Amino acid sequence: MQFARPLSELIAQLERLPGIGPKSAQRLAFHVLRMPVDDVRRLAESLTRARESLRLCSTCQNVSEGETCEVCSDPRRDDSVICVVSEPRDIAAMERIHEYKGRYHVLHGLLSPMDGIGPEHLKVRELLERLRNDVAEVIVATNPTVEGDTTALYLARLIKPLGVKVTRLAHGMPVGGELDYADTATLLSALEYRREL
Amino acid sequence: MMSRDLSEEEGVGKVPLLFLSRLSLTDFRIYDQLELEPSPGLNLVAGPNAQGKTSLIEALALVSTGRLLRGSKDVQAIRHGCETASVEGILGQSLTRLTVELRRGTRKRALLNGMGLPRPSDLLGRLPSVSFSATDLEIVSGEPQDRRQFLDWEIAQLSPAYLRHLTVYKRALEQRNALLRQAQDTPVSASVFEPWESQLSDHGGALRETRTAWIDELSRDAAEAHARLGGGEELCLQYDIRDEGDVRSSRAIDIQRGSTSVGPHRDDLVIRVAGQEARYFASQGQQRTAVIALKLAVLAAAERHFKQSPVLLLDDVFSDLDRSRRSQLMELTLGRGGQVFLTCTEADQVGFELIESSTIFQVESGRVSRR
Repeated sequence: MQFARPLSELIAQLERLPGIGPKSAQRLAFHVLRMPVDDVRRLAESLTRARESLRLCSTCQNVSEGETCEVCSDPRRDDSVICVVSEPRDIAAMERIHEYKGRYHVLHGLLSPMDGIGPEHLKVRELLERLRNDVAEVIVATNPTVEGDTTALYLARLIKPLGVKVTRLAHGMPVGGELDYADTATLLSALEYRREL
Repeated sequence: MMSRDLSEEEGVGKVPLLFLSRLSLTDFRIYDQLELEPSPGLNLVAGPNAQGKTSLIEALALVSTGRLLRGSKDVQAIRHGCETASVEGILGQSLTRLTVELRRGTRKRALLNGMGLPRPSDLLGRLPSVSFSATDLEIVSGEPQDRRQFLDWEIAQLSPAYLRHLTVYKRALEQRNALLRQAQDTPVSASVFEPWESQLSDHGGALRETRTAWIDELSRDAAEAHARLGGGEELCLQYDIRDEGDVRSSRAIDIQRGSTSVGPHRDDLVIRVAGQEARYFASQGQQRTAVIALKLAVLAAAERHFKQSPVLLLDDVFSDLDRSRRSQLMELTLGRGGQVFLTCTEADQVGFELIESSTIFQVESGRVSRR
């Protein structure tokens, strides 16, 4: 099937996005063709603006519009606690619960030699830099995978000697989940990290 | 309704707590569609060779453990020309539905009552089974890796914690090996190695501890079964830790090798018959007897663990045994009261008394009829 050149060009560009196969790319492209021109312009502009105006917050390395992100420039937040996450989207998840009042730090990945990722590829140096100020606790909120756990271990060995308390998010039963359907790995760690009532 | 007296009754006639009441195959091996309703007792799968008997045993192993028998690959079990295959088993009494779906190009998926489980191994323990098949001979005759796989598979059925340690250990090992190869080109600081090594020594230590304890538990039963089957020669099991050293201290050597030289992934289970290592010095007949004794010990351990007989999957175990060993084996396996699936070329191989109390499935070129 031969498409007009601008159309096949659009399809080719969409295909390069993660999670978009040839079929989805075609569907999206045809959708764009049916959209009002103003909507298409707005979409194109927001793509460019997002890419051009966003950068990493100089403090926590989260995606930010200015030099420092919203969380870092909020004076009401607690400077003595830093929650370390692997991706910017993890901050959004933590913020949804409206309970955590401390600061964040984004690593942008996890240690994984198989993928060629070492500490120098993560924002570790930037984190250590921040610990020079008065930080009492670092909460490591990396995913409970082998890589997430090992990265947490690496950070703990690095940070503890500085006299900062290092904690890790608990892993266990999903709230409202059924015991019978829980995978055994989750159940095992739920048992290991059980607590007294 | 399970009354108390019923479950305490011994031997034949006892209805096991866990058994498969229905098995359905879709595009699995040579079967396009197949439905079976096995009995809670002895099920004979009879028919000439290469007609699909082993495939049935394999399907049973798959819903019980989430994996095929030793030596089989998942894609190979998908019927020629099909994209997916599925095996579903329904448990008697509870009517729990266990399903495994195989798909070309992706990983298999396990479901419990139609709900996806995170990993196929999460099926383990819902329908415990012990299998005997021709490829099991490798446990005695094969490489250390074959024996480690035997240990890992059998212990994982009894202990989800072991499986967890194993999964983390294997992943951390891959990561450390990648780091070792990286260190051949550019120096890697000790602080980067340490967290991976700490994972390896924690989880690896747990693996060794569990393996050692399990082999201790196994050895007495194995020796006893071996004596009954083989007549006197002594069977001895021993966990062999190849190197007691710490993984951290072998770092320099490991960087040169590009792989991790110490840890449970290098250990072995040494099997000796009459004082000699069976792998090198036993005849094929002796090796076969040793494997059967080993499996019988696994069965006894599983029985103690689950407090009932696991489902027994016996694939073609009679073909190479002489008459006296055959009857010994039957006595040791069939009188236990659990559900049994047994393949043979002729139903009367098992003896007439047993035929009467069993359900017979006749298999011929991918068709199964109940006799």
